[in-house]
Amino acid sequence: MEDPRRTLILGVGNILLRDEGFGVRAVERLAREHLWPEGVRLLDGGTKGLLLMPDIMDCDLLVVLDVVLGPEAPGTFYRLEGEDLRRSLGFRDSMHQTDLQDTLIACDLAGHRPETIVLGMHPFDWTTLAAELTPEAEALLPAFCDKVLATLAALGIAPTSAA
Amino acid sequence: MSQTQTAQSNYTGPIVVDPLTRIEGHLRVEVEVDNGIIKEARCCGTLFRGLETILKGRDPRDAQHFTQRTCGVCTYTHALATTRALEDAINKPIPANATYIRNLVLGQQFLHDHLVHFYHLHALDFVDVANALQADPAKTASIATSISPRKVKAEDFKQTQDKLKAFVESGQLGPFTNAYFLGGHPAYQLSPELNLLATHDYLLALRVQVEAARGMAVFGAKNPHVQFMVGGGVTCYEALTPERIAEFKDIYKKTRQFIEEVYFPDLLAVAKEYKNWAAYGGTTNFMAFGEFPVAGGERDLETRWLRPGVIYDRKIGEVQKFDPARIAEHVRHSWYVGAEAKTPYEGETNPSFTKMGDKDRYSWLKAPRYSDTAMETGPLAQVLVAYAQGHKTVKPLVDTVLKELGVDASALFSTLGRTGARCVETLAIASQMDTWFKEYENNIAKGDKKIVEDYPAPKNAKGVGFVNAPRGGLSHWLVTDGDARIGNFQLVVPTTWNLGPRDAKDVPGAAEQALVGTPVADPKRPVEILRTIHSFDPCIACAVHVIDGRTNEVHKFKVV
Repeated sequence: MEDPRRTLILGVGNILLRDEGFGVRAVERLAREHLWPEGVRLLDGGTKGLLLMPDIMDCDLLVVLDVVLGPEAPGTFYRLEGEDLRRSLGFRDSMHQTDLQDTLIACDLAGHRPETIVLGMHPFDWTTLAAELTPEAEALLPAFCDKVLATLAALGIAPTSAA
Repeated sequence: MSQTQTAQSNYTGPIVVDPLTRIEGHLRVEVEVDNGIIKEARCCGTLFRGLETILKGRDPRDAQHFTQRTCGVCTYTHALATTRALEDAINKPIPANATYIRNLVLGQQFLHDHLVHFYHLHALDFVDVANALQADPAKTASIATSISPRKVKAEDFKQTQDKLKAFVESGQLGPFTNAYFLGGHPAYQLSPELNLLATHDYLLALRVQVEAARGMAVFGAKNPHVQFMVGGGVTCYEALTPERIAEFKDIYKKTRQFIEEVYFPDLLAVAKEYKNWAAYGGTTNFMAFGEFPVAGGERDLETRWLRPGVIYDRKIGEVQKFDPARIAEHVRHSWYVGAEAKTPYEGETNPSFTKMGDKDRYSWLKAPRYSDTAMETGPLAQVLVAYAQGHKTVKPLVDTVLKELGVDASALFSTLGRTGARCVETLAIASQMDTWFKEYENNIAKGDKKIVEDYPAPKNAKGVGFVNAPRGGLSHWLVTDGDARIGNFQLVVPTTWNLGPRDAKDVPGAAEQALVGTPVADPKRPVEILRTIHSFDPCIACAVHVIDGRTNEVHKFKVV
């Protein structure tokens, strides 16, 4: 029996600010290169915050692809879940409309917070206004997508075929 | 009812709020307080704008896919403004159905945005959530049923208290982290029962807004970003089907019911306890672009359902005609090169940062002016213009609110008036959408299925798109070159009108004016500043979404 859970793979970030758009570029690539089974949805969430609640509340497992500022060097891949995710803070304090953690808390308050895993890369540049990733981030995109696939595979979720 | 005394202090000195929370993006406010009263204010938008650097040289038909990413909330209105700018440059009409579809989606966006603003971005400035635990649920229920036809029982409020208690005890306060009311605050004026009612509805509204947001996506193919808008109309053919229309209408009706039976009565109940705020936070000049064009007249501003107009010096008896040519952007006190005001068509973005806290050049926002005058834009401006014009839906609603509160029209020029006007705008649009649905269905029934015209991108053309967005007057200004590519593109967003800095004549922006004269009871927790700033519903795009784990106490990220 396949995993009956509804899964949402959600790329978030702002594609106008270089590597801020890394999660969106990753989900675009995963959607382009693979066919996914029914019950698995891939979505470019941009920076839509609370407006993503309809989609988030319709899933049981949420896999967020994002950029994460961690203790290691740019280009490091991180995985956050459970308490680690709860403790990490949104960008520059709490901006309640776009902040992902607050959106998840809002889902909780509204009645359904799915199990959540965040996979992210430490960005090289996320403050310059430009619609392309840095060359370094671009080069890491395939490896990052492989990590996403491996993480999903460990949960029993796999694409049905290459598109 | 006796008017509540405003909490005061004798503090003298500066207050800096940085960043302001519950705001999309990043905003810093510096004020000078003298004996407990704000004497001077500076608003500083700290995120750099300059989207034209990304857009120059691109096909103007692609521009909306970039402009809608400048904000997490206003995606639709940016897509619409860009598309209208392109259509203005093309200078040809679009099908009636395209205007119906655009109006209905924009209408639903208003309903969603304004209810989220009231409950989730603004209410905590007035509602002490922690104090709701002290309330009597039975008394709360009798208040709720006395102000609204909705069915609600003491048990419902008891459940909210239990939920709230568990939430507070979990230590994860989420939206209430660092709230100014924690530990009690003299400027919070509601009874425990009204605090409980508003908190209950805050939670209810969280669920309602999820449904309301689904409504916006019904015509838009279930995608949070707008894909269906093109210069010449829309491409969402599914929006013509009875199934989609019924689905949208169903969500609209539920949203409208919440607005009429919960949002409006709550607004009145809270406003009655904060009537002292009709004396603070007002500005003097107002500008509205109008909105909701008639089918077949997408580009005509004057025939919009809400008409454009300009009010100077609070003279609501003398609404002036809106003239786009009078708009210019100043940079004299912004972090850009130069001092000369320019029309947006010729706007430039040459950054020249001085330092944070500089009193001369102090913001990344430009200062747009209309006829060299600082203007407030947004729900209050649009409602004042419509009220002054005798608008058949807006005027009775404003009169009802004034009567309920026992105040005259001068009370509208305030923070309370701004927050009330937002609800009036929501109610007016909610009732009118019913008519638009009918007209749209009738038009389809007559056999009109056209939703788009195919127009090439124009060469050497200029165009401007005006949208009355939920946050106020939004305009996009497009110039194309000889290859029909983008030569210049400027966004003049509502927040630059409202929260922008001083201009070349040193005249403060709307919010900078609004803050002057406001009392601050506790300089460490200046909720009064938040009340007025949040009442403008500011949005300092660009929005970002990076997760910052560096401030974590313990770094336990798994490196994968």
